[in-house]
Amino acid sequence: MDQWLNPYYLQIVMFMLINAMLGISIYFTLATGQLSLGNAGFMSVGAYTSALLSLKAGLPLYLSIPAGGVAACVLAAVIGIPATRLQGIYLAIATLGFGEVVRVIILNMKVTNGALGLSGIPALSVQIGKQLNSLGLGSGLGGITVQQLSNLSVIGLLALVVIFLVFFALRLRHSRLGRAFAAIKDDEHAAEVTGVDTVRYKLLAFFMSAFVAGIAGALAAHITFYIGPKDFSYHRAVEILLFAVLGGGNVIWGPLLGAGILTLLPELLRTVADYREMIYGGILVIMMIFRPQGLISEETLRLWRSKLFPAAKTEQEAVARRSAG
Amino acid sequence: MLSIRQLVAGYGSITALKSIDLTVPEGSIVSLIGANGAGKTTTMKTIMGLIRPTSGEICFQDQNITGQPVHQVVSKGVSLVPEGRSILSQMSVLENLEMGAYLRRDREVQHDLQKVFQRFPILEERKQQLGGTLSGGQQQMLAIGRALMARPKLLLLDEPSMGLAPLVVAEIFKVIQEINQEGTTILLVEQNVRQALKIAHYAYVLETGRMVLHGPADAVANDPKILEAYLGGRRVG
Repeated sequence: MDQWLNPYYLQIVMFMLINAMLGISIYFTLATGQLSLGNAGFMSVGAYTSALLSLKAGLPLYLSIPAGGVAACVLAAVIGIPATRLQGIYLAIATLGFGEVVRVIILNMKVTNGALGLSGIPALSVQIGKQLNSLGLGSGLGGITVQQLSNLSVIGLLALVVIFLVFFALRLRHSRLGRAFAAIKDDEHAAEVTGVDTVRYKLLAFFMSAFVAGIAGALAAHITFYIGPKDFSYHRAVEILLFAVLGGGNVIWGPLLGAGILTLLPELLRTVADYREMIYGGILVIMMIFRPQGLISEETLRLWRSKLFPAAKTEQEAVARRSAG
Repeated sequence: MLSIRQLVAGYGSITALKSIDLTVPEGSIVSLIGANGAGKTTTMKTIMGLIRPTSGEICFQDQNITGQPVHQVVSKGVSLVPEGRSILSQMSVLENLEMGAYLRRDREVQHDLQKVFQRFPILEERKQQLGGTLSGGQQQMLAIGRALMARPKLLLLDEPSMGLAPLVVAEIFKVIQEINQEGTTILLVEQNVRQALKIAHYAYVLETGRMVLHGPADAVANDPKILEAYLGGRRVG
């Protein structure tokens, strides 16, 4: 047991879950056909907001972390209103530029401690550990030490957030809002003439994406105890994009799988760490050539569903028939 | 029902419409004809709110709708069947039709869906198929069906005959007449002048952004200039 619950493994699982959130964050904008690369920027805003609020103002984490999400959302409103008027590659460039602007501002501000970054950020696991101590679990539970227990609690918390987001994304697909998103993605002009307020929905998707990225950033700050401007550079934005490119951006499972693989891969390939960016570039090119829709597409899901639940499929078709007939 | 006064619109520095006037009376079919680049599609887009006019006024049912966003124009009862059809290719036929009723909150959507299926039985057969897999004619039917799902009072059709086989064109025009007889007012933009004038009550001729002629459809069809320029001869077929 001890072998599996070592802090290193536990931390990788935490990063995987954080990256899963970032994958969901880019999924929301992709769901409306917008390629936004500002997620690293929103993540840094969330991270710094929550870190500073807890460090300097002594705000408890359960308030500072949501505040990080809100701060990212507020910034999304400022840049989103002009940015979402842009399409395709122009939006990608503008949001990428936004991310860099945020990074440079953070680099030059006093309160963010410039290039040195913020350290000693109150750790989520320590806070939870204190709670566990006060519950009388100071000596651990069933052979698991209190550190392991608190780390597992953090993982549980992160997993809950991810599960909630996945559930939300799945429900979204079948909602009125989700239909509007899908129509905009399919053909913005067609969506517009059927009466979809495309500007509003694109902006909403942009906000949702920023909020999730902000929350993910805030959680990351309280897991690593240290954040610096380097954590949120251009490479970070590309990494988040890769979650969707590798896993597939059309279904929610795609970015999740991408996030999982791309968190594990660098750990397994520690020996070639210097070539990491090169490998990422290679993956990007290979995917574009051989499987532009990503590893998981809607066809993949349909195929597996019909293989795993042959009965459920016919039932589903019957429902579709009934609802139409 | 629709009246346009001194409308000027364009793209950036290019003025595509140089002060046009147009009236669509309730219950009629009005055809707007003209060559490529005359400004027909621009007129349609400006009515829908897809393009903001430089000046002029668009009134629908005595309400000024100039420069209003598209979704508000749609909710007032104007639907557009866009040029080139603009089918949601990744959505099923059924989902396409449901998108047409996006702004409706009444309970008669299912009823209207059945009406569309009665009008176009092929769409019911293919309702689970993706929109992008339909043939050109079927896509045009789907585009018209989708526009009808919004229960429009005024239906704008932008070149419904584009790229379709003559038999299919005849069918589409028959359907347009039926829709009109059931009470929907129609503004039709066409390059297929002969067909458009045959079913229209009234016609406008647009040439490089200016209205050069208008009148009852048969009068326009027999105008020597129109015969010469659009109908390729002296007799109307």
